[in-house]
Amino acid sequence: MLSELLQGTDTGAVLIIQDSCSYSGQHLLKSFISAALNKEEPVHVLGFDVSEEELKDGLTASTQRLHFHSAYTDPLGWTNRSAFTVHQFCVEELTHLLKQTSHPKPVTLVIDSLSWILRHVSPPAVCKTLQQLKKGGAVRAVIGLLHADMHQSGTVGSVCHLATSVITVAPGTKGDEAVAKITKRSKSGKVTQDEEIFSIKGDFSVTVVSKTSHAGHRQTEAEEQQTDPTANLTFNIRLSDTEREAKEKLALPFVFSKEKKTALLQSGPGSGRILYEPDANDDYDQEDPDDDLDV
Amino acid sequence: MFTELNSILNATPDSFTQGEFILVSDRQSDASFLIHHFLSFYLRARCKVCFLGLVQSFSHYSAISQRLGVSLTQAREKGQLIFLEGLKESLSILIPQETTTGSQAMDFLRDPTVGLQRLYEFVRSSVSSDVGGEEGVEEWGPPVLLVDDVSVLLSLGVSAGAVLDFSHYCRATVCSQLQGNIVMLVRCHGEEAEDDGSDEGSEWLLKGLTHQCSLTLHVQGLPTGYCRDIHGQVEVCWRRRRGDGQHTQKKLFQYKVHDKGASFFAPGTSSAVL
Repeated sequence: MLSELLQGTDTGAVLIIQDSCSYSGQHLLKSFISAALNKEEPVHVLGFDVSEEELKDGLTASTQRLHFHSAYTDPLGWTNRSAFTVHQFCVEELTHLLKQTSHPKPVTLVIDSLSWILRHVSPPAVCKTLQQLKKGGAVRAVIGLLHADMHQSGTVGSVCHLATSVITVAPGTKGDEAVAKITKRSKSGKVTQDEEIFSIKGDFSVTVVSKTSHAGHRQTEAEEQQTDPTANLTFNIRLSDTEREAKEKLALPFVFSKEKKTALLQSGPGSGRILYEPDANDDYDQEDPDDDLDV
Repeated sequence: MFTELNSILNATPDSFTQGEFILVSDRQSDASFLIHHFLSFYLRARCKVCFLGLVQSFSHYSAISQRLGVSLTQAREKGQLIFLEGLKESLSILIPQETTTGSQAMDFLRDPTVGLQRLYEFVRSSVSSDVGGEEGVEEWGPPVLLVDDVSVLLSLGVSAGAVLDFSHYCRATVCSQLQGNIVMLVRCHGEEAEDDGSDEGSEWLLKGLTHQCSLTLHVQGLPTGYCRDIHGQVEVCWRRRRGDGQHTQKKLFQYKVHDKGASFFAPGTSSAVL
């Protein structure tokens, strides 16, 4: 599903990449930018977290159609040198910004990162802007990076609720592999979820290593089948067919089978019989030893 | 500076990665020995150092640097070191006198809600060298900002969001624009609680700074308890890598602090044990 998302999205799509301190979603975001540039689509990036050089570093696709709006150098207007401040994150300003460069093809807007904006603009305002971007015609798709461990779960939940696809990345078991949990909502309302293990190469192309989330289980089963305890021994503990039959026929001494039960219950000829006549001395009552209570 | 740490970080005073944001953090431990290392390292590398010493006096750092072979007084006189003595400056704000002019850096003490813009402006004026300086002024290397420590700002009433904004602006100016380095110390107390992001305390600040930085050194005590010969463990994590290898690399070391330095070794290989 990750490859499908990379290949192309329909109009009005909002894709959110959620990451945490243990694994940065920056590289996956760059993969999405690279994929969009390779399809010759214009990409506008609102850069808060990284500088332009750091974002363009390593992107082999032609960066002619990549427009970087730097909110990195001065996002709050402290030095009066800002190209874009965090308070300009609203539909009117964004549409104005995008109209400055005209394109024949619809634009993909990449926001790096939404966490920066959420720290200064209230979550309802951010959600409203995202919703308006989704419905309006200015952009074809919005891709945002969100640091999930920096916000309350309610905020993260609200923003992701707006999204048409959410990818949560976490570090994988092997060195350069990572696990992506993907939730995709289609226009008809159907929700599909998937978990994939992927790795990103130097040119920001994504390789999906495995698709199932039970890859771990399958590996252990295969391993169990492979180990054969009767191999590589100095003595022979294998059974031939006749030996196996004889073993299965053997009745174990203390197993209480049906034949033994009937033999015990029915006394055979010549076995002793017990005759008993009740004796007064046998009738000893602990609570009435002298047998004189009239109860 | 600690030679073993230099080889771990692949850095020497003659060649080190520029544009790095190094985050030193500790939990229920004391990582300030790493600040002394970086201070003497960058002074030896002939960088222009701006040191925001918010928790200790100048003489404290001077005495320890003397043992590491660097003279802070000389560096300050030569103009290589710009030292903001937070404790002294804060006195001049809390007890204003007519004669005190001082920098506006600690102005946030007057009103913590204003934020750290003034402190940032102090940093910016310290690190940017004036082009075409006078004769006789030595040329220093790339600028370095050292902050000891950032979590004390939280105790002084500054919000964690304002601290993150400050560190962002410092990073934009020092690392990206001037290709210098930043080293910040952040201290956490208590267990690694699942805050849910609602309580903007030192844990949240640590997460925010971790997202911004390129190298973290996290100092903790040994999980098994106190040991006389091993003072704790350091987890080094390289976050942003350019070009080769997209994955973050983590390494764990144990350390012991001596009188004139610290030694680092792989877990289980302490000289007391072997």
